[in-house]
Parts: sequence; C-alpha cells; structure tokens
Amino acid sequence: MFDVDWWSLALPFGYIFVLGSSLYVFSTIYRKRKAAESANLAPWFPAHLQKEVYSTLLELDADKDRKTKVPESVVRAALLRRAVEDIARIIQVRQAKQALNTLLQRGSVGEDLNQRFQRAEKEIEEELKDVVMEANALAPGWGQTIFQSANEIAANTVLRNRLDEIQNKSAAEKEWWDKRRETIQTEFMKELEEEPAKGSTKVSSDDDAVLVDSTTPVTTPSKKKKGKK
Amino acid sequence: MAAASTEEYFDLLPIDLDPQTKAVTTSSGAPKALQAELRLLNELHRSLLTLETSPQIPPPPIPVNPKRSANLTKLKDSGNDLYRKGRHGDAVKMYTLGVQMALGRPLWEPQGLVREEVANLYANRAQAHMALQNWAEGAVDAEASVEAKRAGNAKAWWRRGKCLLEMGRLDEADEWVGRGLEMEGEEAELLALQQEVTARLDKIKKEEEERIGSEKA
Repeated sequence: MFDVDWWSLALPFGYIFVLGSSLYVFSTIYRKRKAAESANLAPWFPAHLQKEVYSTLLELDADKDRKTKVPESVVRAALLRRAVEDIARIIQVRQAKQALNTLLQRGSVGEDLNQRFQRAEKEIEEELKDVVMEANALAPGWGQTIFQSANEIAANTVLRNRLDEIQNKSAAEKEWWDKRRETIQTEFMKELEEEPAKGSTKVSSDDDAVLVDSTTPVTTPSKKKKGKK
Repeated sequence: MAAASTEEYFDLLPIDLDPQTKAVTTSSGAPKALQAELRLLNELHRSLLTLETSPQIPPPPIPVNPKRSANLTKLKDSGNDLYRKGRHGDAVKMYTLGVQMALGRPLWEPQGLVREEVANLYANRAQAHMALQNWAEGAVDAEASVEAKRAGNAKAWWRRGKCLLEMGRLDEADEWVGRGLEMEGEEAELLALQQEVTARLDKIKKEEEERIGSEKA
C-alpha cells in the first residue's frame, strides 16, 4: 500500500521546485530593482547647506586639538540660519502639496514624483524636531520660539531684498528723467523761437519746414523708447 | 543600514574660525553659495551679540522693544513738521534717516511692523520729493511704499501714478492706477487720477489721428 514510486513523482516535484525558485528569483530581483530605483530618486531639495555648516561647526568644536574653540554664540547663529532655511522649505512643501495632489488625481505626473515629495515631507518633519531639540540643548526653552524668530527672519529678508531692488532703480530713473526734462525744455524753447521766425520770413518758409522736419522726428522716437523701459 | 549611514554622513565643509573676530571663514576658492551663506551667518551672529539678554538668543517677535518705535515716531514727526514748514529737502533727509532706522531693525523682529513703518515713511518721502518736483525719486519711493503695504495704501498708489503722469509716462501711469483701483476699490482720488490719465491719453490719440489725417490730405 505504502510503496511509493518516488521516481514517477520526481517530475511533479521538479516542476514545483523550478516554479518556486523562479518565482523567488523574480521577486528578489524585482524588489532589489525597486529599492535601487527609489534610492536613486532625486531628492526634492538640494543639499541643506545651513545644516552642513552647523554640523561642521559642532565637529570643529569637538576637535580637541584646535586652539580656538567655537563660541556658543556662533553655534546659536548657525542653528538659527538652519531654522530659517527650514522655514523656506516648509513654505515650499506646503505650496507644492496642493498643486501636486491635483496633478496626481488628473494623472498628469508620475508616481515617482509623489514618492519624492513624500520623502521630502518626512525629511522636513524630522529636521524640525531635530532643530527644536538642538535649540533646547543650547538654551533652555529656545525650542519654543526659534521657529517664530526664524519665520520673521525669512520674511524680513525677502522684504528687504524687494525694497532694495526697487530703491536701486532710483539713480537710473533720475538720470533718465533729467535727460528727458532737458530735451523737453530745449524743444519747448525751439518752438518758442521758431514761431515768430515763421511769421516774419515767409519767403524762406521752405527752409524752415525742412529744419523742423529734420530736428523733431530724430529726437523724439529715441526718447519714447527709453520711456518704455 | 545603508540608508541610515548615508543620512548621518556628511562632508565636513572647508570652513574655519577667525581667532580674533570669531567670524566663520572659508577659502576664497570655495563655492559662491557657501561664501554667501557665511556672510549671512556672520551678519546674524553680530546682531545676536548686540542682545542684552543672557543667553543671547533672539526674543520672541512679540512684544517689541519700544525704544526703536519711539525714535521712529520722533523722526517721522520732525519730518512732517519740516514738510509743513516748506523745508522739503530737510524733510526728505529726516524721512531717509527714518527709513534707515526702520530697516535697521533686527531681522527677528516682526516683519508686519517693519512693513507698516517703512510704508508710511516711504509714502511721506515720496510726497516730499513731489513737492520738490523730483518726480523720478517720488515714483520710486511710492512704489517701495506699495511693495511694503499693498492694501490700504491708496496715498502711495496715487503718488506713483501722479509722478508717472508728470513725467509723461502715460501708459505706465494708466496701468499702475488701474492696479491701484483693483487693490483699493473705488478710491475717489485714484478715480480722479485715472480720469486725468485717460483724458491725456485720448488727447494724444486725437492729435495723432489729426496729424495723420492732415498728412494724408
């Protein structure tokens, strides 16, 4: 009864073995490729320069051979700069989120973009926690206010840059207007001079007409161009 | 494991500390971004050192140190006095001092406050410039004022529009006043200015047509 003919079972077993191993090989290779792909996804943000500066300063401070220690005020300033950059990144993430979601729903962008975004979101969350911890370590209670300060610093920097940009135009505008005013005045004077001349000497009116034509059109168009800049 | 170690790993930046000034420095061949960042860092460090609290961390944005606000009000009031007395040039100087002081606020102080103060001072300086018939400077200052405070700043909108009109930049004036009206709603002064601008534009158009007509004839 229990006499099994192993040889005739060899074929089905072999079949199962080959099937199982091929599935296994496929899944490992597939997963590896997926992992490599997601690891190779470009990061959402460029390198965090401020964070690197901060870490390097801590590293310098830990170096026992150095003569000049890194003062704590410098470390605090570096941490504040790092928080300012984080604020800029948070704003960027928040702005991108809505747009990205609509685009994803419509199918206009691929899944890998979404993956990159979600990773960036997670990273920034970790980064915020990290900064708060560091701040509390540097000065007790600072973690609660550091991002308020960083927020104002970020906004103030933007405002000052914009105002500087506008004020820097002042010299050029003034120069343009001075020139323009001069030409307007000279033209006006010319008109005043020409009017009585036209009335008195009617014989040479042909010459006058040529003169008027040659002076006015040459000067006016160039000014108009400047004015539009 | 691999992911964790790459996250913790970072390149040490080629930066160093000046032993005397405590400024963070780098070699001149370093990337531009790093140099710019260090300049900002050192600036921030210097302004942190002026704090009187210990440890020297920026205080929360609110409440604001009242000293600077009081000085600013003083500068603005004396500027206004000079303007009323007809000494417009001196008023401009006073407002300029005020602007410098307002923008000299430490960066961690509330930007809303800075916007308010600066918008006011720029608008007043624009008015003083207009009294001196410095239309170009007036236009720039009024634009800066609007940049600092867009809504509820009808005066500054009007002043730049007026300056542009005086300089004969009618197209720009037309566009600017239109935007101002969008922002401020039906402001009477702005509406009047818009009518003035459109009247001038129409006049020029008519003259042009007449000229073309007479040339054809």
